[in-house]
Amino acid sequence: MAETDEKASPPVTLVDPIDMSKLDPSFRDDVKSMPNGEELTACFACSTCTAACPIANQWDFKPHQLIRMILLGMREEVLSSREIWECLTCFECQERCPQNVRVTDIFFDCKNLAAEEGYEVPENVLVLGKELVDKGQLYVVTADWEREDLDLEPEVPGLSVEEVEKILKKTRTGRLVGGE
Amino acid sequence: MPTYNLYMGCSVPANYPNYEAAMLRVAKAFDMELEYMEDVACCGSPNLRAFDYFGWLVVNARTIAIGEKNGNDIVTPCNGCFGSLKDVLYHLKHDDEMRKEVNDELKEEGLELKGTIKVRHFVEALYTDIGIDAIRAKVTNPLDGAEIAIHYGCHLLRPEDVTEFNPEVLKELIRVTGAKVTEYPLWKQCCGATVLPVNEPLAIRLARDKLNSIKTAGAEFITVVCPACGNQLDLQQLGMKESYGEEYDLPVLLYPQILGLAMGMSEDEVGLNMNRVPAQGILEHLVE
Repeated sequence: MAETDEKASPPVTLVDPIDMSKLDPSFRDDVKSMPNGEELTACFACSTCTAACPIANQWDFKPHQLIRMILLGMREEVLSSREIWECLTCFECQERCPQNVRVTDIFFDCKNLAAEEGYEVPENVLVLGKELVDKGQLYVVTADWEREDLDLEPEVPGLSVEEVEKILKKTRTGRLVGGE
Repeated sequence: MPTYNLYMGCSVPANYPNYEAAMLRVAKAFDMELEYMEDVACCGSPNLRAFDYFGWLVVNARTIAIGEKNGNDIVTPCNGCFGSLKDVLYHLKHDDEMRKEVNDELKEEGLELKGTIKVRHFVEALYTDIGIDAIRAKVTNPLDGAEIAIHYGCHLLRPEDVTEFNPEVLKELIRVTGAKVTEYPLWKQCCGATVLPVNEPLAIRLARDKLNSIKTAGAEFITVVCPACGNQLDLQQLGMKESYGEEYDLPVLLYPQILGLAMGMSEDEVGLNMNRVPAQGILEHLVE
């Protein structure tokens, strides 16, 4: 089509415009100072992590975009995203990053930050936390006859849950889900 | 003969006693002394790491520190426990300040993590410490070349610098039983277990992708070395049949079950009747 004097429509963008006033420059430093976050700023946005991720096609924010959002300071969008909680923790992204950005570890950091700063933690994740703080384990032996059939002790030998309950009551788990 | 600290975690004893029993029997046949660790509990899984990093460090550092008391390596049959313990050891070896903080928490119990022992998956200990030749010598009823696909599980393979696991290990362990290793495109991919609490349809999609890839490649059986992966690939097949009418008919065996059978153990000894997708078919592949 020849260029005419038709009015130009607004540019098509793949993402919503970023609200600059909401950017928080301290966010990247917060994440960078967390466990295995040091390499964050080495990201050159090649999106290899996204190519490696088996579920990125179902995400609104792809892994490389999340990293970019952290660098830009989009604290609220990242910490309230469902994506960080859906991360499989399969480490495929981290394994392939040519810049050694520990992508999966950084998403773990984001989840911890979200939990610390009062962003919503998925309910079923909290249920697991509650199990840990109340029972000291995620799975409890119910079919002890199955164990006996196999000549195993009905109770798991050596299992002791009190210390774990005690530890987790004092840490963030206790603060998030309370103890009994 | 080598002695190990056996760390069971919570999922294997509760959900896969057949894995536990088969592993103990195989270990015994090779004089591997697996001694249940005393006074330890659950690793918390990657879920605990997600919302309580420090708590996850302390819980797992505690387990490792208990192991360090007798100096024997820790061995576990669960990828979740393996991943947690290995990861924590890695993090604390690389972060002196955090190690001090964690050790301050452990002091009350008179424990301290020093980093003097290794954390190992059972299959790696079997491979490295016993060796393929010694294993081959005990295979009395080899499989007839049955096609078995290996699902490693993420936390056994990655991050590679943390887990230090070589995928060839499981391939050799399968081949020594007389079975064939079925190569398939999605061999590295996640089973979906971790996302189950947050997004069930997504978890099912991942299990389905995996099963399709395995089926298409011509495998007759799958082997796993993790209870969570076992749930996703074995138990979920029953659900997929019921909910979506999809039938894969791919029995899933814990690795020590396969080796145990090839060493002449009975199907009861390896708890074959507890596998969700009926796995008795493998008996027909044993050469007398």
